[in-house]
Amino acid sequence: MQLPTSGSRRWRSRTSEPRPIEVARRRSLLLRALIIFLFGVLSVQLVRMQIVQHEEFNARAESNRLRTIPELPARGLIYDRFGEQLVENLPIFSAAVVPADVPDSQFLVVVAGLSEITGVSTDEIARDLEDARKSGDPFTPLIIKQDIDEETAFLLRERQPELPGAQVLVESIRSYPYEALVSQLLGFVGRIDEQEYAELRSRGYLLNDRLGKAGVEYVHEAMLRGSPGYRQVEIDAAGEEINTIRTVAPRSAGNLVLSLDLDLQRQVERYLIEAQGNSLNAVAVVIDVNSGGILSMVSLPSYDNNILTDPVDQEALAPLYDDPAKPMVNHAISEVYPPGSTFKQVTGTAALQEGVASPDTTITSRGLITVEDEYNPERTWIMRDWAALGTMDFYRGLAMSSDVYFYYLSGGYYQGGQEIFEGLGVERLSAYAREYGLGSLTGIDLPGEATGSVPDATWKTDTFGEDAVWTLGDTYNFGIGQGFLTVTPMQLLLVTAAIANGGDVLVPHVLQDVVDEQGNILQHIQREVSNTLDISPRNLGIMQEALRQAASYGPARTGASNFVTIAGKTGTAEFGQPLADGTYPNSHAWYTAYAPFEDPEIAVVVFLEQGIGATNAGPVAKNIFDYYFDRQRLVESTP
Amino acid sequence: MNTRSARIRDFDPVLMLAALALVAMGGLLIYSASLTQFGSPSLGDLGHPVIRQAAFATVGLIVALGIARANYRVLGVLSVGMYVAAIAVLAFVVVAGEATYGSRRWIEIAGTPVQPSEIAKLVVIIALAKYLSDHQDSIGELKVFLTSLAMAAVPTLLVFAEPDLGSAVIFAVIWLGMVLAAGAKWRHVAGLAGVALVSVPFALIGLINDYQRERIALWLDPESDPLGAGFQSLQAQIGIGSGGFFGKGLTQGGQTQLDYLRTETTDYVFSVLGEELGLFGALILFSLFIILLWRALRVAELSRDLFGRLLATGMVIFILLQTFINIAVNVGLLPVTGIPLPFVSQGGSSLITLFISLGILQSILMRRRTFTVSNYYDT
Repeated sequence: MQLPTSGSRRWRSRTSEPRPIEVARRRSLLLRALIIFLFGVLSVQLVRMQIVQHEEFNARAESNRLRTIPELPARGLIYDRFGEQLVENLPIFSAAVVPADVPDSQFLVVVAGLSEITGVSTDEIARDLEDARKSGDPFTPLIIKQDIDEETAFLLRERQPELPGAQVLVESIRSYPYEALVSQLLGFVGRIDEQEYAELRSRGYLLNDRLGKAGVEYVHEAMLRGSPGYRQVEIDAAGEEINTIRTVAPRSAGNLVLSLDLDLQRQVERYLIEAQGNSLNAVAVVIDVNSGGILSMVSLPSYDNNILTDPVDQEALAPLYDDPAKPMVNHAISEVYPPGSTFKQVTGTAALQEGVASPDTTITSRGLITVEDEYNPERTWIMRDWAALGTMDFYRGLAMSSDVYFYYLSGGYYQGGQEIFEGLGVERLSAYAREYGLGSLTGIDLPGEATGSVPDATWKTDTFGEDAVWTLGDTYNFGIGQGFLTVTPMQLLLVTAAIANGGDVLVPHVLQDVVDEQGNILQHIQREVSNTLDISPRNLGIMQEALRQAASYGPARTGASNFVTIAGKTGTAEFGQPLADGTYPNSHAWYTAYAPFEDPEIAVVVFLEQGIGATNAGPVAKNIFDYYFDRQRLVESTP
Repeated sequence: MNTRSARIRDFDPVLMLAALALVAMGGLLIYSASLTQFGSPSLGDLGHPVIRQAAFATVGLIVALGIARANYRVLGVLSVGMYVAAIAVLAFVVVAGEATYGSRRWIEIAGTPVQPSEIAKLVVIIALAKYLSDHQDSIGELKVFLTSLAMAAVPTLLVFAEPDLGSAVIFAVIWLGMVLAAGAKWRHVAGLAGVALVSVPFALIGLINDYQRERIALWLDPESDPLGAGFQSLQAQIGIGSGGFFGKGLTQGGQTQLDYLRTETTDYVFSVLGEELGLFGALILFSLFIILLWRALRVAELSRDLFGRLLATGMVIFILLQTFINIAVNVGLLPVTGIPLPFVSQGGSSLITLFISLGILQSILMRRRTFTVSNYYDT
């Protein structure tokens, strides 16, 4: 169609270009195509999101809406064998903030508010919160300040509406009413650290969880913790709970009853402190020789475990770390010492069993023996006894703790290269020492045990180099518990307990029963034996008798009780640098014994870092036996 | 101008009903989205978003019917004055407007926040339609092309300065669509596009402020700050994706009802639809929009003068673009911009503007038969 002419229009444009109205029509078609195209794009994207990726988005919407709030069971309580409660759970308030619930726009307001309420600097809160928001778990409350007082908690609760995400967290912490008395045994509970969290999160531990860090709290963590439950709640975008969808109640696994006798523990600590003198450390342990249960375990000095329980009292903590006596170390199981003459129990039974000695074997001590040097006959060494004790049979040799007697039994005796008396030799002696469990962990249910060392020729070259050959003198020293041999007090106690119970090397344990809240026993810790000695009852009987005699007329009589017959052995283990005359200025005092002789119940080990076995350690054992059996007598005579 | 020559039977009820259906759908979504905060609406409670929206829609409808009876050609006469006024108001907003979410877009008139960029879009469409139809014979000339460009560029730069990137884009595309519809030369447009493309990197570095850069960065990776600024975009997508085909049901969407969505009655109203009414609801919405746009384009085609045609075309582009940008933002195809969903989003300025547009479209329709030669050569 031809439009009416237009004067302004050029000829060229009229023929080669369509009229505007035509252009517009064509371009409106283009616009229709664009409409279809754009809605097509949107539809494709919607199909992708709502059909293809629907499940994925749905899961995210669910996890948005639902939050799982873990609920921890109350930590299991710990009792002594008579039901005395050794720990308490106390509630504390902590100021916290859920990082995910702090809106971007309110970030500074929340930080400033929390800082004002808690006194923690804004920089610190902002940094921690920033980190926590970027962490994988922004829903776990970030603790700003622990153990806030009630007033602060109230203030925080009041200001919560203006501080989204902020909350007062009620946490349960441990308290130990008996403090240092049982801290070595109980240990303490602390805040989970980064490494622990990485290991334990798969087992349901939380970012700001607590767990046992030492002692029973550590070893029996699984039982004390129980199984955490949770509440699944529906929340809105501000983190407010709308309603609870699902609840799985936390289950406490149970309470622990220890074999510990708190009353006895208190006395043992008292006796040991009285006898401690200038000893850096002192240890006393009482064990049930039949069950292996630990009745008392004192390691001095001790520490107040409330200091280390989260929240940690940093001020009180520093001196604990600096103390040379290492109060946080349980010296009964974690430190090793030469056992001295108490080791004669092992040498003696080994010699009897190997036929090296019999009850009638008589040896004379003139106060010393001379030992020819194996490599240089011109040279002789002098090995001393503690006194010229004269001629002795086996019983008297052990009872008087004659070193010469036990030099003979362990290393034999040689004159002019001739063997006059056959000894056990280092290999047999070390084999028996290992039979008794020395040189290996006892398996007690406490952390941080030391193994000690049982030497032999290989051990010596391994430790000191190829030139360090084993000498006869080494065997002699070994035989009387000196030299390279080291044991923990607990290991030594098990030696005596094994002799007392007829040859069972026990696995000691602190835990006796797991009970429910009503006190019903859920699990009883069974007697466990790590090794049964390959020593005949007759030979063990001979040793028992020798130990009885030791406690009646030997140096070990200082440990004899007024109420029962005991069998015991002293030890005075020299250590440090010898003086010019070959004597040692320093010695450890040991005493190990069991009672009653006729029907053994308990065994005791006493260790003082400085002292003489008979003089210093023996009386502690006597007090323990007296207290234990006198109390028993009183209880039994009470109708 | 003779109003009696308007013909009622040329009034397009389909166009009007499609728009009202969209408003009704929007009302349902606003109701659902405001339920947690406002509860159920009661008649006469103008504080409630649903009632407010209904009131605006009623006012809008009356205004539209009024305009439909008037002669749209009056707008051409008024266009210069309206254009100058609109530019003045936009400039005022940049200087003294109320800031929300980091940009100044609002002014307050009698206690009611008004977003002038909405009405400005319509004014620019009218002004461009007038200018381009007046110069229809010289549209191929660079001078006319550049003058029309300058007319669009002024408001574009002003809203860009607010900053409102989305509206700036809309001004630009409205202009582009209208000059193309008016018959502009492709090589002019292509040349301009070349200049624009070259300047994009500079614009990104220099002109766009941190707030916009951050929004673009977050659109590219909303997970980079899931609790912060990426929150809206991510939560909207989670809501839509979790809706599935039929949705969770009106008022049943967790994302909506638990306040995970923000501005869920305005910019993110589509997310509410996606979550609660699903793909099914979205397709119904799309159908309504397509019907509406189709009928609006019909107006352009039936109009016998270029002014009416360009007016209608501009409005189609305006509505199409707002719709596309808004939904594309919701589904994560575009960075976050505060563009409302036409007829659906809560907001008086937008709704009134749209109803005025509808009125103009109806006016064009009802006067298409009053075409005279003198009208056509009315230059």
